[in-house]
Amino acid sequence: MSTSQAIVAGWMESPTSAVNDEARRCAEDEALAALVDQYAGTLYRVAFSVLRNQSDAEDAVQETFVRVLRHRDSLGEVRDHRVWLIRIVWNIVLDRKRRAKTRPETDDVSELARVLPCTGLSAEELAAAAQHHAHVLSCVDQLPGKERQVLVLSAFEELTSVEIASVLGITESSVRSRLFRARNLMAGLLEHQRSLR
Amino acid sequence: MNSNPHKPTTSESAYSPADETLRLVASLPAPDGLEDRVNAVLSAGQNRDRVLGRDRVLGRDRVLGRSRVLAWPRAIRPESGWMRTAAAAAIVFVVAGGGWGVYMRVEQSQTPKVIVMPARMPAPGGFSGAGAMRTPLTLPGPAAPQPVKANEPAKTDAARPKTVKKPLSRPKGISSGQPSGTGESSTRPDAPR
Repeated sequence: MSTSQAIVAGWMESPTSAVNDEARRCAEDEALAALVDQYAGTLYRVAFSVLRNQSDAEDAVQETFVRVLRHRDSLGEVRDHRVWLIRIVWNIVLDRKRRAKTRPETDDVSELARVLPCTGLSAEELAAAAQHHAHVLSCVDQLPGKERQVLVLSAFEELTSVEIASVLGITESSVRSRLFRARNLMAGLLEHQRSLR
Repeated sequence: MNSNPHKPTTSESAYSPADETLRLVASLPAPDGLEDRVNAVLSAGQNRDRVLGRDRVLGRDRVLGRSRVLAWPRAIRPESGWMRTAAAAAIVFVVAGGGWGVYMRVEQSQTPKVIVMPARMPAPGGFSGAGAMRTPLTLPGPAAPQPVKANEPAKTDAARPKTVKKPLSRPKGISSGQPSGTGESSTRPDAPR
């Protein structure tokens, strides 16, 4: 590099701005790592409640944080990081679920039997419990989309109705009314299944 | 009516297994090492972004199908905010100046001082004007003096023919010396017979 080129390069890229840029990048990386440590488990549970597949849920969590990495410049503008991240992973899993309809569904029973806690249960009891949960989840799948979403999110104890409304982009009263409808529909479906047996 | 609000109703008791299942699924622990795997993916993505960014600065992003001749300084880089503002202001200035120039070049049309009444169209089935033209009513102007002929003698009162006053009544049988209506043709010599 000639002297003139070095002078021009030095004028174009001032060293102080480069140092500030690097420090800013380091701070953003640390903030992102803290978000991963704090919310990866929550995001995984949200993803698993919809996808019901361990590897798919993990992929959804990774995709969520990759999206955050792309938009890390706007990280400081976010007020509630938890709700913001849940909203991102919620959109991702709904998109994956929509695309997965064209593929054959995974076996929910075997997947549930693999992931459910099995302390104090025999193999037969564990299989029966997995069968029961799979049956209940199939009834959940029969619900209309709006009611099903609210019902799934309401199962998370760390999410209030206001936060569910924020994730879904609806009002809190809509959340309550949809939850009421979903529970009534669910009770009807379970009663109907019980009477058929 | 349910008197005890804490006692579950029939629908709630039927729903309870569903609630239990959903809560169980929602409380499943995340697999071990999930955070490490996510952090590894993120660090790989950050390194890739940094390499791409450095390549962009050094003008080596021909790999991506783009070529860069000049690396803009940070202060006047096109991505910076004030540069965009200046560009937007320049565009607004050029457009407004062009519009003002066109406005100043074009002459304003003269407004007509006489109001032209539109021709009245006859209503279909009505009476027509038969081509009549309306003539405006004018005031009578001053009377022009009549030219006097030089050969003609001035008319005096003596030259004027005297008007013969008819007698108001004439007695029957008395001739006045003038031919009567019945005997006029017989007294005229050139009258055709």
